[in-house]
Amino acid sequence: MPSTSTATICTAKASYKKLPGLLELTSTHLQWTQDGKKAPSVKVPLVEAASLFCSKEGAAQVRLKLGLVSDDAGHNFTFTSPQPASLTEREKFKAELTNIISRNRSGVATPAPGTRPPRTPGVPGTPVPRPAPSLSRAASTSRAPSVGSDSRGPGTPVGDPTHDFRLRKKVLMSTPELAQLHRELVMTGQISENEFWEGREHLLLAQAAAESQKRGKPGQLVDPRPQTVDGEVKIVITPQLVHDIFEEYPVVAKAYTDNVPNKLSEAEFWKRYFQSKLFNAHRASIRSSAAQHVVKDDPIFDKYLEKEDDELQPRKLRDEGVDMFIDLAATAVDHGETGNERDITMQAGKQRAVLPLIRKFNEHSGRLLDTTLGEQPAKRRKIDSGNNDLYAQLDLEDLHGDEVSPGILLDMQDRRRYFEGRSMDTSQRAQIDVGAAVQEAKDNVNGWESRLSQLKIDRKAGDAALLSMTQNVAARIEVTKRKNDIPDGLFRQMTTCQTAANEFLRQFWLAIYPSPIEYQTASSLNPAQKAAKAAKMAGYLEKTHEKVAALVRAASQEGFDPSRVQVAMKPILDGVDKALTFWRTRAATARPPGR
Amino acid sequence: MKFQIDDLPIVFPYDRIYPEQYAYMCDLKRTLDATGHCVLEMPSGTGKTVSLLSLIVSYQQFYPTKRKLIYCSRTVPEIEKALAELKRLMEYRVSCAETEEQKVKEQSFYGIGLTSRKNLCIHPEVSKEKKGVVVDARCRDLTNASVCERGRQNPGSVELCEWHENLGVREPGNLIPPGVYTLADVLQYGRDNTVCPYFLVRRMMPFVDVVIYSFHYLLDPKVAEQVSKELSKDAIVVFDEAHNIDNVCIESLSIDLTRPMLDSAARSVGRLGDKIEEIKKTDASKLQDEYAKLVEGLQEAADNEDAFMSNPVLPEDLLKEAIPGNIRKAEHFIAFLKRFVEYLKTRMRVLHVVAETPLSFLQHLKDITYIERRPLRFCAERLQSLVRTLELSRLDEFSSLQKVATFATLVATYEKGFLLILEPFETDVATVPNPIFHFTCLDPSIAIKPVFERFSSVVITSGTISPLDMYPKMLQFTPVVQESYPMTLTRNSFLPLVITRGSDQVAISSRFEVRNDPAVVRNFGSILVEYSKIVPDGIVAFFPSYLYMESIVAAWNDMGILNEVWKHKLIFVETPDANETSIALENYRRACDNGRGAVLLSVARGKVSEGIDFDHNYGRAVIMFGLLIDSRRVPYQYTESRILKARLEYLRDAYRIRESEFLGFDAMRNAAQCVGRVLRGKTDWGLMVFADKRFARADKRAKLPRWINQYITETASNLSTDMAITLSKLFMRTISQNPNENQTGISLWTIEDIEKAQAQQKAQQVLEVEQKKDDTMDEDDEYGDGGFDDEMLAELDLDV
Repeated sequence: MPSTSTATICTAKASYKKLPGLLELTSTHLQWTQDGKKAPSVKVPLVEAASLFCSKEGAAQVRLKLGLVSDDAGHNFTFTSPQPASLTEREKFKAELTNIISRNRSGVATPAPGTRPPRTPGVPGTPVPRPAPSLSRAASTSRAPSVGSDSRGPGTPVGDPTHDFRLRKKVLMSTPELAQLHRELVMTGQISENEFWEGREHLLLAQAAAESQKRGKPGQLVDPRPQTVDGEVKIVITPQLVHDIFEEYPVVAKAYTDNVPNKLSEAEFWKRYFQSKLFNAHRASIRSSAAQHVVKDDPIFDKYLEKEDDELQPRKLRDEGVDMFIDLAATAVDHGETGNERDITMQAGKQRAVLPLIRKFNEHSGRLLDTTLGEQPAKRRKIDSGNNDLYAQLDLEDLHGDEVSPGILLDMQDRRRYFEGRSMDTSQRAQIDVGAAVQEAKDNVNGWESRLSQLKIDRKAGDAALLSMTQNVAARIEVTKRKNDIPDGLFRQMTTCQTAANEFLRQFWLAIYPSPIEYQTASSLNPAQKAAKAAKMAGYLEKTHEKVAALVRAASQEGFDPSRVQVAMKPILDGVDKALTFWRTRAATARPPGR
Repeated sequence: MKFQIDDLPIVFPYDRIYPEQYAYMCDLKRTLDATGHCVLEMPSGTGKTVSLLSLIVSYQQFYPTKRKLIYCSRTVPEIEKALAELKRLMEYRVSCAETEEQKVKEQSFYGIGLTSRKNLCIHPEVSKEKKGVVVDARCRDLTNASVCERGRQNPGSVELCEWHENLGVREPGNLIPPGVYTLADVLQYGRDNTVCPYFLVRRMMPFVDVVIYSFHYLLDPKVAEQVSKELSKDAIVVFDEAHNIDNVCIESLSIDLTRPMLDSAARSVGRLGDKIEEIKKTDASKLQDEYAKLVEGLQEAADNEDAFMSNPVLPEDLLKEAIPGNIRKAEHFIAFLKRFVEYLKTRMRVLHVVAETPLSFLQHLKDITYIERRPLRFCAERLQSLVRTLELSRLDEFSSLQKVATFATLVATYEKGFLLILEPFETDVATVPNPIFHFTCLDPSIAIKPVFERFSSVVITSGTISPLDMYPKMLQFTPVVQESYPMTLTRNSFLPLVITRGSDQVAISSRFEVRNDPAVVRNFGSILVEYSKIVPDGIVAFFPSYLYMESIVAAWNDMGILNEVWKHKLIFVETPDANETSIALENYRRACDNGRGAVLLSVARGKVSEGIDFDHNYGRAVIMFGLLIDSRRVPYQYTESRILKARLEYLRDAYRIRESEFLGFDAMRNAAQCVGRVLRGKTDWGLMVFADKRFARADKRAKLPRWINQYITETASNLSTDMAITLSKLFMRTISQNPNENQTGISLWTIEDIEKAQAQQKAQQVLEVEQKKDDTMDEDDEYGDGGFDDEMLAELDLDV
């Protein structure tokens, strides 16, 4: 581990992808080094750890599987020490990783600076060893670590998402067209990596934003259901499930700390838990209450059993004021009871067995909200909001008048001339004598009937019109027919030429025009650099004509109509010419004051 | 903006107005001018409350008579919303007052809301009590007249309420600076100034311009007697969200007795007896005085504020005479009560259903116990007098006895339109008796009659009050205006869909023969799953009853359907406890605001369906699982609610409303009420899914309000789940586009549009007047006696 000076927590011999090696857990990473190699070929930052699975106790192989945030498939390690030793080793890893995973889930960042997720800016100045990008996706073990650190220009700030190599790679991978362009221009060295990304920062930022969006907790209830495995009914316990159970039912966590490992072994604990009344009380089903008398008494777990919350009034009442607008209790006590009892279908809570279930739903939903939004400040409305909040709930927004938008002022060059032109126009128009014009129009219309009857269409002209129409249609059919007959190789070359020229054009104009303010990072070029870049691009652009000429030649060699290539490439050539003309005139105007 | 309707200048707190709001205000003004009653239906979410308040306040401020506004709503959240709306309106009026004088006038406007002691108490100990009755009782112990007197004469001898005492120091009518106060504001004012908010509101009531409270405070004689007696006759009474007003009327005169209640009442009678014995020894003169007063027939002019209970019968049915001799003496009255309670207990032992009229009940009572009708009628009044004489505390412990006395008075007062039903078992299959003695009112017009007679203008309004002619029929009044407004939209902002079968083509219905069929349950479930996949933010689902919701939630969970829903949205469910449900509701809203999205499962006609809005992201789709019609049947067995049956029979016999017609009407008004809650304003959008085969029937749909019905297309009225999902997706894609067309002039009016409309109207009026001159006036029997003409009845029978 060349760069990390972090402490190793535990190590074990383990094989990965059937290769023997050494598995190590440091305070920042889980890494695996193949025997005989120096650098670890698997290195997973601990913040990436999302789930953990273990093989059953007593299974032939002692395995550990670590699922990642970005990749559920994760990594599979097999502990290769002789049986009892491997088991203890595995347990050690398991215990450590379970802690880490639960820490990750609860959203508390691990304290070590190096373990921060790569998106958050590192401590400025200190070159933080960056965790290997999540290469788990399909990366082969040998290649992955080497990619991690190269190709990033030295001195680029670590935290800037626009310079994050990993992000760039992701963007390229998700858009093949861009990757293609990247291969052609950057890999061949025509433009530099940074130049390529300039003006495409939004893609990187979008990617960074998408990644930093934290996935909330899934909403499902923790409800371990027995599965039938090899004819036996079993409940499969994963460390993850254990964690979820503890979170959902703190009483189980309490039972666990009270009894394990002094009174019960872990396995025994879970076995008895799933057979206990406590578990049945926790199950989200009303059938469980029917099964309750089948379940054995359990002196340990029955202690933790609470009375079923199936009274009309909940046992735990949150005693805090609710917003008066949704205060249902206030209505219930607004006036004394009157009238006859409602009929039995309309009496709430007649099915007592369902009440705990319903309460469980409400509590579970509330808890999920609290984990993401934080506990709700009690009596929120009464304190901070005044009438505004009150009124906002009543407002009919479409009844307000339109707010006048200031609009964007059109900045016109040489405004005076524009208006001059207009006024001249109107003055000319004004000279037309309306009376005379009307008279003329009237004269023209006079006797239209007789003239219409005299109208004879020249046969020749009609034929010609028809013919030209037919030709037009024929030409169109022709075009659609031979749309795709450009030879494959040539077509690819043409596309390449086209996209490359486009990219050059983009770079050129980017260098000419001021860069948008929001992306002005440290790497933004100063005017001199810009001019140099524009000059370079202009140089490239000048070559475009040659390239097209070469294409035309190639086409004629392949026996393909060269004129069509010319037609196809015309727009891009026009664009190039425009740019070049602009460049030359600018150079010409810029020079005289210089001399 | 400001505009005029005839000569009345209106201040409306927005720059634009919906055409329906304008029309609504015109009709409202017509009603007020004519001093008559009206029924108005205006689409949900088009700003009914603000139009109503805007017009009435303008009316109050313009005419010198200053008629008071009594605004009744259903629930506390709605009361609070109306108060906030009024507060905002007044702030707007102040801000655009033209002269200084006018500004002062606007600023001195009073508006308050009244609710129970439980909701308004800020006493540190009393307010912690969970139950309303306990709060009432403890409050009375600290604030009633005799305690206060003793406490003031001899400070420290008895515990008094500081907040209440502070109020007494202030000048009546000037307890709080002018302005509009929401319930939260009054509470805050009370805390800041150490005065009791409840009594502050009660004592300010004669002086305010607008008072907002719930229906019961005007309709329930027990409450109305205490709080609404002094309101002047020219007040404008508004029943907002009045689609269930008939039920409130019926409830306020109905009562249930159970065996535990009778046991408790018997204990209370015993305690009263002990107390009398005790007082006889210590202070016999008290009882003597009371007896003397009763002999003279003096009605005690008690302070209304601390009345333990008031007469449960309507004012005009009160007998203005002395209490009969055989219950004047306290011990005689106790013996009388004992006998009556014993009699009721014996009746409860019967193991078969009994339904009888009050007259037959009284006859049987007389035969067995020799209790006459007349003393029974005074039961409530006599008990009140006794309780006051004995100066009892913690009256909540006597509430069962109070119920028995109320029952006695009611049963002895009313003959027609009431029925007694004894149900020994909860359900037909139950084997353990749990008897309930229902005294049930069948005729909603009885309770509301005094309101119509006393107040000159009563406005009945709601978003869903179709068919309009049902209400005048049921409540027995003659409206001068009766109107339903269509919704003008430039684009359809909501999509009603009727799903009649699942993707597997199995018909879905909550008809109870099939409602527990797994195929139906699964199809209902897949509707929820599919919608939770495609709809953003919040989805509200309504079930026809609590029992059905509870069983279906359990079934869905076991079928794994809810697991699918959990993948897309959080799930919240209405529970029996109101406070718990409020918290669930609050979390539901947080989930919708946060973007996580949630599903709320609740019950139509339940707690959530009344008074809670699901506008904008709080409800992008509302799903009605099943039709509400089968509330009278319990799943698994055929048990018809006898009360409902009796009511239906009464409606048929007395008012010629057919049973099926009423049931259809009742089901549809509730369905419409549920789906209507998803809209506020015309830019808001939502899906309305009716999932039941029976919604496809045209006669059912015809009972929906016009504004919903007009947007149900023929294709959308008979869909399978997958087709509905496709249509919904298409709708959401369309509605999410920026509306290009300008709504102004069509569904939004500026002041110019109003003027244009007024000019048009005027022209038409002139024309009409000219026509009328030609015609002989022959409309005198149109609003004659309020009865039904033959034509109406003929129509009824055709409506099959």
